Amino acid sequence: MAETLPLADVRILDFMWVMAGPASTRILADYGATVIRIESPTRVDTARTLQPFHNNTAGPDSSGLFNNCNAGKFGISLDLGNPRSREVVHDLLQWAQVVTESFSPKAMRAWGYDYESLRKLKPDIIMLSTCLMGQSGPLSRIAGFGNMAAAISGFHNLTGWPDRPPAGPFGAYTDYVSPRFTAMAILAALDHHRRTGQGQYIDQSQAEASLHFLAPAILDYTANGRIQGRVGNSDREYAPHGVYPAAGEDRWIAIVCETDAQWRGLCSVINRRDLASDPRLTTARGRRDNTAEIDAAISTWTAGMGAGAVEAHLQSRGVPAYQVQNSAQATRDAQMAHRAHFVEVNHSTLGKTIVEGPRAQLSRTPARVQAAGPSLGEHNQYVLEKILGYGEERVTALVAAGVFG
Amino acid sequence: MQMLSPYRVLDLTTERGLLCGQALGDLGADVIKIEPPGGAPSRRLGPFLDDESHPDRSLYWWAYNRNKRSVTLDIDRPEGRALFRRMASGADFLIESFNPGDMAARGLGYDDLAALNPALVYVSISAFGQEGPKASYADADLIIMAAGGPLMLTGDDDRPPVRLSVPQAYLHASADAAVGALAAHHESVRSGRGQRVDVAAQESVAMATQSWVLAASLGSVEIRRMSGGVKIAELDIPLVWPAKDGYIALTFLFGTALGVFTRKLMHYLCERGFCDQATRDKDWIAFGDQLASGAEPISEFERVIEIVRSFTRSHTKAELLQFALERGFLMTPITTIEEVVKSPQLESRGYWRWIEHPELGRGILYPGPFAKFSATPIAYRHRPPTVGEHNREVYCGELGLSAAEFAGLVENGIV
Repeated sequence: MAETLPLADVRILDFMWVMAGPASTRILADYGATVIRIESPTRVDTARTLQPFHNNTAGPDSSGLFNNCNAGKFGISLDLGNPRSREVVHDLLQWAQVVTESFSPKAMRAWGYDYESLRKLKPDIIMLSTCLMGQSGPLSRIAGFGNMAAAISGFHNLTGWPDRPPAGPFGAYTDYVSPRFTAMAILAALDHHRRTGQGQYIDQSQAEASLHFLAPAILDYTANGRIQGRVGNSDREYAPHGVYPAAGEDRWIAIVCETDAQWRGLCSVINRRDLASDPRLTTARGRRDNTAEIDAAISTWTAGMGAGAVEAHLQSRGVPAYQVQNSAQATRDAQMAHRAHFVEVNHSTLGKTIVEGPRAQLSRTPARVQAAGPSLGEHNQYVLEKILGYGEERVTALVAAGVFG
Repeated sequence: MQMLSPYRVLDLTTERGLLCGQALGDLGADVIKIEPPGGAPSRRLGPFLDDESHPDRSLYWWAYNRNKRSVTLDIDRPEGRALFRRMASGADFLIESFNPGDMAARGLGYDDLAALNPALVYVSISAFGQEGPKASYADADLIIMAAGGPLMLTGDDDRPPVRLSVPQAYLHASADAAVGALAAHHESVRSGRGQRVDVAAQESVAMATQSWVLAASLGSVEIRRMSGGVKIAELDIPLVWPAKDGYIALTFLFGTALGVFTRKLMHYLCERGFCDQATRDKDWIAFGDQLASGAEPISEFERVIEIVRSFTRSHTKAELLQFALERGFLMTPITTIEEVVKSPQLESRGYWRWIEHPELGRGILYPGPFAKFSATPIAYRHRPPTVGEHNREVYCGELGLSAAEFAGLVENGIV
């Protein structure tokens, strides 16, 4: 018996753009939610301009980031400044259970689409706004990207070497963290709505959601007064704990010993049983105090070997190790392949392209990635005619009025 | 009423999965943390309150166990397992993060429990997934960051790749797991049937590559790490910039979307005398393409970067933030945890939550709700529990064990 997708009955009107917002509704689309994404015909979605590009070539449809964040959604181009777009938005609102948006605060109000306005038209609507700093407060006007929210939330200062300036996490870090909280919030609000009929407004600050990923360091300050700083690759509990050179240019292997047994396994693999029996090094604390000596011994062994071979050697003895993978290596990774992490999908102009697969694998009703991200206005006709039931004449009139750009 | 208040979650997770149950608890579910007698091993992870190592003083554990109740139960013994099966037969969710196969070996795998409770949503969080050639690999935060892609992109170019100093990998996985759990739950309401939810942290952290994990399969160039920025092709693109009193994040890029911001910034720098009009009037939309084609030399990019750097270096973080607010520049200060906790923004939104720990006679400030819900605000109903704090309440009050039965379990070390 064919199973329906878990969220097949969920309908989302999605005004979100760039990364953090769209990444959250992408998850819901994977599980079957119908997501209709409104895109401006005049102001390009920044994500469309960002690398990596399909075939390394810039173009409005070729951003791998855009396709990854918008796979499986319906896309319509709608000029929200055009007065005749309102009837389309109003009809979509009646169709939807959830409205999402990720503009900087005030944008939705300027169009008359803030929660107070929408609930007058549809009292039980669930509306979620997500932005860098939240809808209120002195910094609510700060617009921009997740690297900025990460910087002001402590992530940058906690990434890198203590003797160097902050390296920062790669890219727009809060745009990776917050979408999961966004998706959870929507699903929980839907469950509440199903039981009670009650809609509501959800104000998500991407910075506030992401701070939960730094909670232990925050409590170390609020409870102990200690301000944690960046510590390279060392760990507060375990040693050895680092990234070591392997053969080849810029090739590396990550190695960690979380237990004394793993430490003895490591010593045996690298032919340094003398270290295993060294009384200074029998505990993690002792090893942390002698990191330089241990790291030198490990590096001597790893430097001449292929990272993949080191990984296999150490893992065969139960020692946590993995080659540090760039995208080429991740693409060839046997485990990523087993999980079908890289999914080929149809794209209306590119033919076939690749996006990442769903993260949580459901055994009975697995997610399905339906297509790549929509090209601008790709589903105008489908949404108007098949979902809203507009007749041909009405569509023609709206097109003539320039509603779709 | 809370959003998920009708639902019960059994949380068996190790340090790999604590955030998942907490997120469901924040959303209102009744989450029961099931710990081995003596307390979960993850309570032994620091930092500790006042640096005193004790299972009821782990700040790490507190960070991810609020809104849970705690019972102790030895699921490695038959009596413990029997009791656990009873609890599972009435639960809506089960979350576990043992090594793949460990639960099945105990007779508590998905199939075993689904036979008792077909509607159960059974969530497994692991490093690499439940099956596959590397499913049984030994793991750690750093290992997963290496395997999933973000590590290679982070750090100084003359040193090994570097991770975030606060472990992240299992937080990504746990958050993904909570979403997957709620999707499966949504379906089970319709069908009356639960299912297995299988999350691999390796895949979850790939999210932190900003889709660059796709580069090879798309036929794109690879990006390379650089302290406070990235290297794409021949360009070293800074994203961290010096201020007079620290550092800021500033996005200084080109193209149809971002070039507009760069143009705005360069106009301001010209006004302030940091650059001439010819520099101001460059085509900032096309500048990236011009660099790529060679129409503008890399040295010109470097000259412009130096101009911007001389501007950021001549102001404090606070001044630069003010400029960003007034003029819409893409700049924010790089802050310490102390600055975060003292942030006027977070204070004005009432973000921080004071939670009393009566067992210690003191309270502690916690990060606040991950979103503000107008009808069903997230409440911090339970502070992180002490080991087995709710044994009697759950076993006698809710499962209906008699006082004698309960005493027997305690005596035998099951509870």
